[in-house]
Amino acid sequence: MTRDRVRVLCLSVAIGLVFVLAWQAFAGSRPPGKGLPGPLAVGATAWQMLAHPFYDHGPNDKGIGLQLGASLGRLALGYLAASAAAVMLGVALGLSPLLYRAINPYIQVLKPVSPLAWMPLFLYTIKDSGQSAILVIFMSSLWPTLANTAFGVASIKRDYLNVASILQLSWPRRLVTVILPAAAPAIVAGLRISVGSAWVAIVAAEMLIGGTGIGYFVWNEWNNLALTSVIFAILAIGLIGVLLDAGLARLSRRLAYTE
Amino acid sequence: MAFLEIDHVTKHFPSHDGPGEVCVFREVAFSIAQGEFVTMVGHSGCGKSTLLNIIAGLERASGGGVVLEGREITQPGIDRMVVFQNFSLMPWMTVFENVRLAVRAAYPSWDRRRIAAHVQRYVEMVGLAGAERKRPAALSGGMRQRVGLARAFSTAPKVLLLDEPFAQIDALTRGLIQDELIRMWTAGRNTVFMVTHDVDEAILLSDRIALMTRGPEARLAEIVDVDIPRPRLRAALIEDPDYLRLRAHILRFLVEGTRAAAGDGHGAPATAPLAATPR
Amino acid sequence: MNEGNWDTSTLRERAAERAIERAVFGGELGRRAFLTAVGATTAAAALASVFPMAAAKAIAQDRPGPPEKRDLKIGFIPITCATPIIMAEPMGFYRKQGLNVQVLKASSWAMIRDISINGETDATHMLSPMPLAITLGVGSQSVPYVMPAVENINGQAITLATKHKGVKTAADMKGFKFGVPFDYSMHNFLLRYFLAEGGVDPDRDVQIRAVPPPEMVANLRANNLDGYLAPDPFNQRAVFEEVGFIFLLSKDIWPGHPCCAFAARRELMDKMPNTFQATLNAILDATQYAHDQAHRKEIAAAIAPKNFLNQPVEVVEQVLTGVFPDGLGNTRTVPDRIDFDPFPYHSMAIWILTQMKRWGYLKADVSYRKVAEEVFLATGTARSMRALGQKPPEASSVKHAFAVGKTRVFDPDKPDDYLKSFTIRRT
Repeated sequence: MTRDRVRVLCLSVAIGLVFVLAWQAFAGSRPPGKGLPGPLAVGATAWQMLAHPFYDHGPNDKGIGLQLGASLGRLALGYLAASAAAVMLGVALGLSPLLYRAINPYIQVLKPVSPLAWMPLFLYTIKDSGQSAILVIFMSSLWPTLANTAFGVASIKRDYLNVASILQLSWPRRLVTVILPAAAPAIVAGLRISVGSAWVAIVAAEMLIGGTGIGYFVWNEWNNLALTSVIFAILAIGLIGVLLDAGLARLSRRLAYTE
Repeated sequence: MAFLEIDHVTKHFPSHDGPGEVCVFREVAFSIAQGEFVTMVGHSGCGKSTLLNIIAGLERASGGGVVLEGREITQPGIDRMVVFQNFSLMPWMTVFENVRLAVRAAYPSWDRRRIAAHVQRYVEMVGLAGAERKRPAALSGGMRQRVGLARAFSTAPKVLLLDEPFAQIDALTRGLIQDELIRMWTAGRNTVFMVTHDVDEAILLSDRIALMTRGPEARLAEIVDVDIPRPRLRAALIEDPDYLRLRAHILRFLVEGTRAAAGDGHGAPATAPLAATPR
Repeated sequence: MNEGNWDTSTLRERAAERAIERAVFGGELGRRAFLTAVGATTAAAALASVFPMAAAKAIAQDRPGPPEKRDLKIGFIPITCATPIIMAEPMGFYRKQGLNVQVLKASSWAMIRDISINGETDATHMLSPMPLAITLGVGSQSVPYVMPAVENINGQAITLATKHKGVKTAADMKGFKFGVPFDYSMHNFLLRYFLAEGGVDPDRDVQIRAVPPPEMVANLRANNLDGYLAPDPFNQRAVFEEVGFIFLLSKDIWPGHPCCAFAARRELMDKMPNTFQATLNAILDATQYAHDQAHRKEIAAAIAPKNFLNQPVEVVEQVLTGVFPDGLGNTRTVPDRIDFDPFPYHSMAIWILTQMKRWGYLKADVSYRKVAEEVFLATGTARSMRALGQKPPEASSVKHAFAVGKTRVFDPDKPDDYLKSFTIRRT
């Protein structure tokens, strides 16, 4: 490891330690059972939960592994569907300035709507809470990827498109060999933002819907005012978010190019 | 019927300041025989790159048209490959992949092995053996343009269009690549139309040189033959009286054009066209 | 009509038909008059269009046939009102009827409503007014519901934040922000009744908001609410967390008031009468078991864990046994703090309907009695209770005595007068 990396790591760990100690001091000063639990209490709960992550006591009580798995499953379905749709539509908009300008106002209106606000509408029309949750994910993963793809495709240098025209590449070939690779850095940037907002949305949606999922887990533990579990769940959610983002960061590095 | 006919091509652009249009060039007419190497020289703003784009099919003429082997050109096509001033290589592809993109497009029925062999041949032909896996960002300007040449020649195009291909390459490397170009052209016997502002380069490489007046409203002033026999060696050329005379004529044309432009603004050459000099 | 030649089964069916006809037409005389006027076939057709005769006849049999569907999902909200529904799973009451039931925890009453309407649950825990509201299409799409059993009576309380310890009467509560679980709930109606009787206008002098019960304690602590009329265990939990105190038990507003209900889409009853009956029997069994004080501790232990109420077991015990600290330093003993009596009196439904009209939730004019009888299945349930060896009340409609207020007695035969007797109302 380079000297620089070591320094960064040390500083990071130091900040973390300071925070944990302050937290413990603050929480430890209150009587146990009341107020915010400290890191030791959270650690004890974490240990318990991680020891049996896949237990199943019926639909309302499952291990943390199963809960996270359920959430990630929903995330995968909604996110992948949204990404596919966003890339396709984004390419179309990027290639056609006319289409882009015509459709853009609608996008601007729909974009700021919180994905959770769509939930009642979905529940009412689709009549299935599981599918509604997936659609909420879909709505929250759509916009960043769409915007970035359209921008990335619209910014492709004329030269590359000219070469594609001269070579008389068929549209599918043009898409795969020229357009998508050229716009790839922008597309992946959009995907990274989208996965973040999708993960945020799934937790919130599950709090409303119930069933199995980390959001439902948080809500259930909150019912019982079991704050150690809630904090542990928050840390788990954050960790998964980091992993998702890191995965896409890797993809981003592979698809980057210098002009 | 000529192989490639530029038939009274006119080009207008919408004007930047104020309404109406600006005429870049008007009624440019000449033809190119198969296998000929023709260069166009002129001031900046005379629209020579625009004319090249029209021949390539990347732009449309406002008046007149371009006819290749009896058929009018309206779209870009692989029969008219272009070598760009700024190389236009796909930066996410390696050298090999860049050339292969063209070969695959030119020979869709070939299998992978045959395509790979063909690509390899041209990569070696431009002297880039060993650099196949590099991406353009890792190459110098000269090397990148060699890839451009390899890409263009590998498709055996009917017409090769070169748009100031060596303008961005340093003087020392330029000579080497010009030789590369001649070598490949001699082997491939393609028809070439090149645009350049380098007079020496024009004389060195071409069979004929078309001279454009200054824009706007540029016109084709004259076309001079370059009767110097090939192969043309740079060292010998410097002493050659035909070369010197031709060079002087063209430079005078360009200079007069500047002076004339400063005067009456029309850019009509004051010099008389150079008659073919008997040997 | 030689009844002597018919078998027991047919006799029972005929008895059921006649009972229903009598109920609809108000007595034997009315029934005979109707039959004479239109003829037996027409009468049967007319009745069948508003009453599920097939199901009623099935109910009339002692034992239902094998259930059409054994694997059921029943929705619930994690509050002590749903005790019979919840306990029937771990304590085997569903299994005894040959059913394999999964109880699904929902996060809010809106979810309970939606997953019931769309079929994700077969039957469900609901607030007593909800089946009425949904059948009438008030506050949701109009889907016919039936409510054969009341889950619990009493079992709620008005809890106030600890800082309001000095409050003694309704008048002291002007300007408060109150939480109730849902608009169409006994909690909302009881709170409004209590405030109005104290001279406080619930729409103008205070704010009443719908808050899911599990969020109430947190909201109280965060000063978002001054108090709430909520189901337990959230009243007791507020005391446990030292953020509130119990101001008034709901049984001290209307002793024996219905609270939550066991309800299902009418479709279930019509299409799968055996399943419906079996589920109802399980609920009635469980309700009776819960009614017995001796069993309350055992039940508390069964329903407290994570997959059911997810509350500390002491809190649940305090609610069910009625021995509890009230947050003001006293320990009280109120054995019927919560009680379990399944009988869905029509008069209860009529009271709810008058209150819905009173506060403007229900705008159309309806026949209180007709809707009550369609939804609150007093007749059918009485039949089922008898078959299980339980003792249903004689009448399906009684006068109800309130502990608070000017109009102390509610007479279900005079709903319009009752409505007009209130000074504070919206209609």
